[in-house]
Amino acid sequence: MKIRLTFRLVGYVLLVEAALMLLSLIVALIYHGSEWLAFLQTMLITGLVGGLLTRLKPRNDNLRAREGFAVVALSWIALSFFGALPFFLHRSIPNLIDAFFETASGFTTTGASILTDVEALPNGLLFWRSFTHFVGGMGVLVLSLALIPKMGSRSIYLMRAESPGPSTDKLVPRLGQSAKILYLLYVALTVVMYFCLRLTGVGVFDSLIHCFGTAGTGGFSNYGASVAAFNNPAAENVITFFMFAFGVNFSIYYYVITRNWKGIKANSELKVYFLAMFISSIVIALKLVQEMGYSLPDSLRLSFFQVNTVMSTTGYATCDFDKWPQLCRTIMVALMLCGASAGSTGGGIKWIRVQLLCKSMVREIRKTVHPKSVNIVKLDGRVVDENTLTGVFGFFFAYFAILVIATLVISFDGFSFETNVTAVISALSNIGPGLGVVGPTGNFAGYSDFSTFVLALCMLIGRLEIFPMLMLLAPSAWARY
Amino acid sequence: MNIIIVGSGKVGYTLAQFLSKDGHDITVIDKEPAKIARASETLDVLCVRGNGANARTLLESNVDECDVIIAVTGNDELNMVCCLAAKQLGAKYSIARIRDPEYTDSLTVLQDKLDIDQVINPERATAQEISRLLRFPFAINIESFAHGRVEMVEFKVEKNDPIVGIPLSKLHGRYPRIQFNAVMRSGEAFIPDGGFAIQGGDRLYATGDRESITKFFKNIGKDTQRLRSALMIGGSHIAYYLARGIAGMGVRLRLIEIKKQTCERLSDILDDVMIINADGTDQEVLDSEDVGECGALICLTNRDEENIIAGLYGARKGAKKVIVKVDRLNTTDVMEGLGIESVVSPKLTTANAILRSVRALNDSRNSVVEKVYGMLGGNVEAYEFRALEGAGYLDIPLNKLGIKPGILVSVLVRNQRNIIPFGDDHIEAGDTVILTAKAGTVIKLEDAFSGLEKK
Repeated sequence: MKIRLTFRLVGYVLLVEAALMLLSLIVALIYHGSEWLAFLQTMLITGLVGGLLTRLKPRNDNLRAREGFAVVALSWIALSFFGALPFFLHRSIPNLIDAFFETASGFTTTGASILTDVEALPNGLLFWRSFTHFVGGMGVLVLSLALIPKMGSRSIYLMRAESPGPSTDKLVPRLGQSAKILYLLYVALTVVMYFCLRLTGVGVFDSLIHCFGTAGTGGFSNYGASVAAFNNPAAENVITFFMFAFGVNFSIYYYVITRNWKGIKANSELKVYFLAMFISSIVIALKLVQEMGYSLPDSLRLSFFQVNTVMSTTGYATCDFDKWPQLCRTIMVALMLCGASAGSTGGGIKWIRVQLLCKSMVREIRKTVHPKSVNIVKLDGRVVDENTLTGVFGFFFAYFAILVIATLVISFDGFSFETNVTAVISALSNIGPGLGVVGPTGNFAGYSDFSTFVLALCMLIGRLEIFPMLMLLAPSAWARY
Repeated sequence: MNIIIVGSGKVGYTLAQFLSKDGHDITVIDKEPAKIARASETLDVLCVRGNGANARTLLESNVDECDVIIAVTGNDELNMVCCLAAKQLGAKYSIARIRDPEYTDSLTVLQDKLDIDQVINPERATAQEISRLLRFPFAINIESFAHGRVEMVEFKVEKNDPIVGIPLSKLHGRYPRIQFNAVMRSGEAFIPDGGFAIQGGDRLYATGDRESITKFFKNIGKDTQRLRSALMIGGSHIAYYLARGIAGMGVRLRLIEIKKQTCERLSDILDDVMIINADGTDQEVLDSEDVGECGALICLTNRDEENIIAGLYGARKGAKKVIVKVDRLNTTDVMEGLGIESVVSPKLTTANAILRSVRALNDSRNSVVEKVYGMLGGNVEAYEFRALEGAGYLDIPLNKLGIKPGILVSVLVRNQRNIIPFGDDHIEAGDTVILTAKAGTVIKLEDAFSGLEKK
């Protein structure tokens, strides 16, 4: 590994973070909060560390795959650490590990919180907490690629490590241009959502916070009761719609703009994602009418919101789905595992991988019947090469292996099995709420420092799709030859 | 510009690399996943897997918005069909690599019917490069402008050459049809003025029409090094084109080829060449052909290693000029270390030829540059412009145009005749203007004249 080159690039990312904090500083000053000092201190520290790192002179600046992955993984750890400093320095979250958890939860767009009283936080910190969702959603490295034109032609490795999904396609030949288009689409959608929310009568600050939370599919709210606090069905429906929209592959929006209807038609993941969302919502709504005695419109509104919040891995809540009938709770956990679409801001295993896994399973069955048959897995009319498939299998196994190990580790704290498993799923898939103690109305405050740290790592592992983080543990990645 | 490159082999990859650095948006199409993976990981280009002649693949690569399609797969027919399909689907300009001599004879018809704008034949282009090097064996580089009407020859001035120590203004009087447009002295390249006196060790560019250039070199005594005989090893397509190309130069040609069948076929189509059926890497064969005495040894077999070995043996025996064909790229430095000066690479030649025409295409969109040629390590460039009807610089004497410092109007080509311009000459519409300038200073012809801006 070219260590100097790696850390130099991490330095650039830290400089970007320090710059991003400026907005929160301004918000703190606008609301006359005492936290502005914490932001200023953090910006100085982050800027200093970042500045020093960028002064490293690499002998050779040719990025290879391993440096690309290491830069992304280390950047995210560094981002979460330095992003935690305002909470820590302001003493809003006096425990550094808790602050790290909260910020990792922000950047990875998980939205899980250890805070028992969110509303006690000053506005500047609330803004920063939600703004990390917005930045983390599309990715900090992608942002850097869009802003810094000369990151080198091989920076595709950076984008690949940070963008969700089994394969990263550029929209246009130039990587920097692709990154810019993605961010423009992202910002444009967010702005549209902001005005929609304002139209439903939500206040400026509340709208901003919930736009950031929805756009990044994060889920931090400035109210303890989350979106339910608005008591505003129209706002709920707007958020439902945009949660779905941000869980869709962003290439689709580019196709819409370039009028490439064929490209949209060929995208089977969109269909699967929509159908899964629609059918689950209807089934849950009917079950709610039957067992909980809600009216049909109410239960439809609630089920669509809750299903979308889980599928897009956002994690807002308008009711406590932990108290729902068992069938509904099971559907919710199954959707948590699958997550959103590739190329969106959401997390989870991603529907495209689920599709590929199903197709591979069908192929195995066919092979059992006709052992000599030759079967090629096709998706959207193109052949999926075996390397991609192997990658998907490896990812799927790694996801469950980490799920089992992390559940085992946090079981020391003595919570129920249901709580522990869904806490880890929720961290790995970047959702936020789980079931039981960590349900939509609960939080993660009960976990010990050690478990909190493990869960924070799970979020980072899940956001970066496992392998960039695991690679850091491989000795051969660090070796100098 | 949007450029689609079909085929990501050595040529395609090199083109993608350079054109992407030039700032173009490149899409690469290849059938093989491994080649696609290599290009997408190391270059900032968009990669599409598929057959470049397939309309669906082409449409997926946005062929309708593409400015240039370059087909450089290993297969001539595929390249032609690619260009045809792409043109039908909306590509604006097409370039195909076609190498089989079968097609080259009927090329104009093919080009016309298949709507291919430009054909690159690597073997023929390489043969042309070799024949230029052979015509002036002392030349380091030779480049032609205005469809071959103007030649620019880079050569090294020796200490006792008759031109040493004479100011250029006086040399102009002696050789009125030659322009000295660039010089490199102790690592620094610049455009000399009239008072500049040449020293031994300078690398000088002399520009003029072919006849005057030949006469000039004869006068200063370089002609004694003229090539009398050449020995070629390997009866490849290049050897065929080369033999045809230098047929009229009065060079005795011998060709050693290992395959009897090829020998017979070549002796049928090449009348003036002595064809020897033997192994060209065998030192005894080379000795019996007096390799040390021949003017030039040209190694053109299909294997790099054999070319290098034969070339090294020839150089050791005292062959005056050794030219070696090497297909592997990026080996030029190694070769210089071994003592072989001239290395030709068909793939690099192809890539360079395409690169040049794409650059010219790009420039002529915005202005009217027809050709840009980087000389002396790229510090100085020669530009070929076409003077347009109605432009502000027409019919004004050059000394009134206020030519900016560091720019030299080197040659004007009018009605197929070369003019070495002086202060009272003027540019007419339709002239080809060749400028020499510091790299990057000129984009449009208007850029060269400060007198225009004041008006």
